[in-house]
Amino acid sequence: MTDNELISLLESLCCADGTPGDETAAAKIAAEVMNRYMDVKIDNMGNVVARQEASGRHYLLDAHIDRIGMVVTAITDEGFVKVGACGGVDTRTFDASEVIILGVKPIYGIISAIPPHLTKSGENKASDITDVVIDIGMDKDTAEKYVTPSDRVIFKSEFKKLLSSRVSCAALDDRAGVVSLILAVDMLKDKGLKPNLTVVFSVCEETGGSGAKTSSFSANADEAIAVDVSFATAPGVSAEEAGELSKGPMIGFSSTLDYNMSKALVSVAEKNNIEYQKEIMGSKTGTNADNIAVSGYGVKMGLISIPLRNMHTQSEIVDIEDIRNTAKLICEYIASEMGEC
Amino acid sequence: MERIFEFARDLSLLDGISSREETVRNYIVDKIKDEKSCSYLIDNLGNLIVDKKGRKSPENKIMIDAHTDEVGLIVSYITSEGFIKVHNVGGINEKVLLGRTVKVNGLTGVVGIKPVHLTDKSKSKDIPEMDDLYVDIGAASKEEAEKYVSLGDSVTFDSEWVQFGENNDYIKSKALDDRLGCAIMLDMLLKEQEYDLTFTFTVQEEVGCRGAIAATNRVKPDYAIVLECTTASDIIGVSGEKRVCSLSGGAVVSFMDGGTVYQKNLYKKAMALARERGIKAQTKTMIAGGNNARQIHQSSCGVKTLAVSVPCRYLHSPSCVIKKSDVEDVINLVNELVLTFADD
Repeated sequence: MTDNELISLLESLCCADGTPGDETAAAKIAAEVMNRYMDVKIDNMGNVVARQEASGRHYLLDAHIDRIGMVVTAITDEGFVKVGACGGVDTRTFDASEVIILGVKPIYGIISAIPPHLTKSGENKASDITDVVIDIGMDKDTAEKYVTPSDRVIFKSEFKKLLSSRVSCAALDDRAGVVSLILAVDMLKDKGLKPNLTVVFSVCEETGGSGAKTSSFSANADEAIAVDVSFATAPGVSAEEAGELSKGPMIGFSSTLDYNMSKALVSVAEKNNIEYQKEIMGSKTGTNADNIAVSGYGVKMGLISIPLRNMHTQSEIVDIEDIRNTAKLICEYIASEMGEC
Repeated sequence: MERIFEFARDLSLLDGISSREETVRNYIVDKIKDEKSCSYLIDNLGNLIVDKKGRKSPENKIMIDAHTDEVGLIVSYITSEGFIKVHNVGGINEKVLLGRTVKVNGLTGVVGIKPVHLTDKSKSKDIPEMDDLYVDIGAASKEEAEKYVSLGDSVTFDSEWVQFGENNDYIKSKALDDRLGCAIMLDMLLKEQEYDLTFTFTVQEEVGCRGAIAATNRVKPDYAIVLECTTASDIIGVSGEKRVCSLSGGAVVSFMDGGTVYQKNLYKKAMALARERGIKAQTKTMIAGGNNARQIHQSSCGVKTLAVSVPCRYLHSPSCVIKKSDVEDVINLVNELVLTFADD
């Protein structure tokens, strides 16, 4: 897959909606692409499940397809739209931000902001989600024609290229992971390898991980790798608590992951000259890996994270090279497990 | 009206923080340079002053003003990791920058923020201060950043022109404060006028209404009308007088704001005129904000000054929101005021 193909796939995924419980738009794009490689179905939960039957150990690869957003809860008497969180939104970035309400048709709106002259000094705080309202330029009767409680809301975010191979958009968490898995499958095919493989783009990670819990039960795999994003260093975010952008996939080491698998991933990275970093977590990883590991009768579990800045904002940043190296690491890991290296 | 919104779109999307209004000025000059009724000069500060010949000379000299600059940021430092530190130019609340994209020398930058997951729970609603903000252009080092960005460069909001609402009767863009005022004046310059008028497109309003001082001293008008956008807080969570003014409420005429005590008889005259002519007008219910009237009324030998504003939500953000019908009210009221002031 060329850089341009990779970027355009990532762009189309990041620009698709797909908040928890309503992932269809993004799932459809991912399913169409995966269909080129494997048999694809959408399961009861809405997970995209791609299957390639073969002999040998059964590998499960997981990345979540949902993105954070909001859900309409009410329309006020003046026609403003009230919302709840659909995943861990960061209200510090809300004031005067542009959103799209996925109503009868996409409805443009701006998150209302109380002007500074009405804020007492020292009280410049972010709003609670219950105080957030969206201004759609309509009165109540008009608004009700287009917007209904349960409609989802996403940030209006454009996919932007930054310097070198870095890009910015909303929903890179975890559409970057989805792309890395598609790329890994593409690389396995190029290598002529046909592992016993299930690839899942799972729903509802941002609201507790129900998609991965159930899809991993169905898959009943021997071992699994989850790919998610993790924190990258930036001003105020130290190397102690984060990985570095553009320095390769972060291989997870945690008491909820399989230690031998973490070490095997490191050795595969070193053997193949893939730039990598270690991400050390004391206990739970806060990703689908926590749930997949204890699904069914238990699954040998690994976690790879793509370093990302500004997590859960409308301007997340990743490096395309980190996505590529994540895919390469997964491909080489499976290849080495299959005894092909 | 459509032409005004086309001008407003073009002008609001141009970048020009205070003291760097050249692109805005050039756009306007380009539109008026072949108009026989217009003669213009650009003064030492960058103010564009245009004399418009009307059918008649008025008894009183009338000046109409709008400012060309917008709020933004200026590059103050580049860190060893290649992050860009900034100062604000004009009043900007950090909240409207966090997690947003901005423009630096044609590049996209992101105003980064420490992930909420890594932020102490007791501080998770705290807003970082301007000193702690940084712009991330994706540079991997100071050297790489310095290839594209120098200290003192401008940083502006990344924002598109959007029309929204059921009948597209609302507009969102950056810098409607005060490019909308510029657009209204440009339209007036291209139309036949009853009286001679002087239009001042002034610089540096956002940093203390500085350009207007020199422009007024040169024009020496009897009357001045300041065309502006003013904060409307007619949103949920704000009630009563704190809303200040409302979209759909028509032209905003203030009797007093943070910078000017307007002459009471002028204020009353404007409101009465609006009533008589059936033009929607409203006043501000809080003494807040300020505009070039602050300097204009006390420049030269003193000027009878009024501010007529379009109510605007989310002022000084990438998403200023105005309603088209209010613009119409402002234009109608300004035209009536000109006729009244000319021979008053």
